[in-house]
Amino acid sequence: MDFSLSDDQELLRDTARAMLTNECPTTLLRAHIDDPAAADPLWTHLREFAALATGACSDLHLFAEELGYVAAPGVFLPTVAMAAPVLGAIGDERVDAIVAGETTATLAVAGADGVWLPNAEPVKTFVPEADRVDWIVVVDDGPSVTVAPAGEAAARAVETVDFSRRMFEVDAQGSSTAVDPAALDAALDRVTVIVATELVGNARRLFDMALAYAKERIQFDVPIGSFQAIQHRLAECSLAVERATAAVQYAAMTVEADDADRRRAVHVAKAAAGAAAARATKDAAQVHGGIGYTWEHDLHLFIRHACGSEAWMGTTDWHHDRLGDLLFAA
Amino acid sequence: MRLAWGEEELAFRDDLRAFLEEHVPVEALAGFDTADSHADERDEIVPQWARDWQATLFDHGWMIPAYPPEHGGRDATPIQTLVYLEEMATRRVPRSLHFPGYAIVAPSLLEFGNDDQQRLVPAAIRGDTIWCIGMSEPNAGSDLAGLQTRAVLDGDRFVVNGQKVWTSYATIAEKCFVYVRTDPDAPKHKGISLLIVDMDTPGIEVRPLRHLTGAAHFAEVFFTEVEVPAENLVGGLNDGWRITQGSLAHERAGLWVEGVARLESTITGLVDLARRWGRADDPGVRRAIASVYEQAASLRALGYKGFASFAQGSSAPEHSYMKMATSELGRAAIELAMSIQGAYAAVHDPERGDERGRWVEMFFLSFANTIAGGSSEIQRNIIAQRVLGLPRA
Repeated sequence: MDFSLSDDQELLRDTARAMLTNECPTTLLRAHIDDPAAADPLWTHLREFAALATGACSDLHLFAEELGYVAAPGVFLPTVAMAAPVLGAIGDERVDAIVAGETTATLAVAGADGVWLPNAEPVKTFVPEADRVDWIVVVDDGPSVTVAPAGEAAARAVETVDFSRRMFEVDAQGSSTAVDPAALDAALDRVTVIVATELVGNARRLFDMALAYAKERIQFDVPIGSFQAIQHRLAECSLAVERATAAVQYAAMTVEADDADRRRAVHVAKAAAGAAAARATKDAAQVHGGIGYTWEHDLHLFIRHACGSEAWMGTTDWHHDRLGDLLFAA
Repeated sequence: MRLAWGEEELAFRDDLRAFLEEHVPVEALAGFDTADSHADERDEIVPQWARDWQATLFDHGWMIPAYPPEHGGRDATPIQTLVYLEEMATRRVPRSLHFPGYAIVAPSLLEFGNDDQQRLVPAAIRGDTIWCIGMSEPNAGSDLAGLQTRAVLDGDRFVVNGQKVWTSYATIAEKCFVYVRTDPDAPKHKGISLLIVDMDTPGIEVRPLRHLTGAAHFAEVFFTEVEVPAENLVGGLNDGWRITQGSLAHERAGLWVEGVARLESTITGLVDLARRWGRADDPGVRRAIASVYEQAASLRALGYKGFASFAQGSSAPEHSYMKMATSELGRAAIELAMSIQGAYAAVHDPERGDERGRWVEMFFLSFANTIAGGSSEIQRNIIAQRVLGLPRA
């Protein structure tokens, strides 16, 4: 079991971090609230990394953590991390165009209940960026996959609190292709791990903001971070974030190796990510005090993304329940 | 990143497995359960089979693999050491039933002891000498540097007066590492020295201290005008504090494995318990067990991640988290087991309830886990100040 990063992986992470710090400031997130086109300049940089779509899961996972750290909006994650693996599972050649950064797509799975499992319902929910991509990839029970042009689908925006991910209800019809259930499972596990990783990056941002504020905010003539009550809160929060970081890395490795522990590891990853984000949300808000719940402070941009992401693709409770099924089936 | 061990590690593990298959005292281990041990006597605390087993490990180079053969090892690499700790923990095979000698005394003497003192090392690791550690005192627990046991140099000997407490194995130990104050006027970290003391020296009185479960694995130790040869000073005079940090540096990056393995075994026990108590279809019970599993699995991943940093020579802050997290989660898992048993959680009656108080005994034992070796609160201070860089109050 080797969790060390190769030189190439460290380079990828550092490059992604530097690029996203420059190209996805919080001013972009705020502009994106009213104008989704504000994320377009970011896409021109992100498309350079579109080849990660078919690369090693552990590489895409490193990139996704950086995306979450800046709560990057736009079509990259739906295209590269979500639609591509499912297109790959049916051998669809549009994957090549995704890898080349020439086309965009999103993925539709959940039905009315929002549960991320294949179903027969015509209307799919919680489909990200459905109005700003070229293709909508729909998973139905069977299982089968339909790839429909986004322009021909009926899409209704569903407002959520998350300013970094725009959600839609979509009715996209077309001719479907049967997909090997095992291949689909593997593809959806890859999707879940990457989304979980993105959420861990977001949780780490919340934690880092809280830690920085605890060191600079003076009350009673000293930094509030010198108080044990704050120190212990942040120590526990950092444990939750570190644990989740390791859990998603492990899960990415099991997906990459198609390891026997993959299914458990994926549920652990999303549950741990959700728990860390929930904890970091509350701790960051508490440590920031009054300033933390103002509109002008950037904290809420990340709190909103955490709330949206925790609920999406299976809440922590939902993944615990699936994990319980696996533990009691053994 | 890769999931599987490399060929070199697998070959190492094969060697270990072959050794274990041949030598592990299977029957003795099967009948041995620390949770219901109420032993007081030397032969009960460290039975003959355990002494033989530790000696066998030493003689075959499997006691501390990172050490050279003369110290019970085989010059193993850090990764091989992790493979070793993982295999032993998974099989739930203890190396020794008394940790102070091999885990604290030996590495401290190897680093700070003179030639004569280093000659004590092989017997400490092999378990031929049983050691105890005189650190904590009634007024020096978490604030260890506040210790008050005095030693005054008088010619060629120190005269020691004072009291130690929570001293594990003191009732059966032959030697003790005693931390004493040799300069009462210096700042508290700078006036401490370390002495090797024979437990049969006149003036030492040991009073067993019963654990709340009834077992007596630790004791109070009183020193009254105890004379200790000056050459028993380890390291420099008034330079003992830094030796308190001594433990198996080679293994520190892998010690979490045992805690995580214990958690995983508890989770298996929880699933089994829920089935036997008709709670296997209770959604609340299932979700709660899954949550423990999620935390244990992610802690295992965190342990490996920290090891990767350690093996590359970076500092590994991950390890600061592992002790606190595994001990706290371990207790939460035991509380869950008690809740599954409902009204029978506290029943000890062998004819009522299947568990015979096993879990509640484990619950009591778990109190030590979040205190001994640095309480969870001290761990949080360490994480906050040393890992996160928050200012001291």
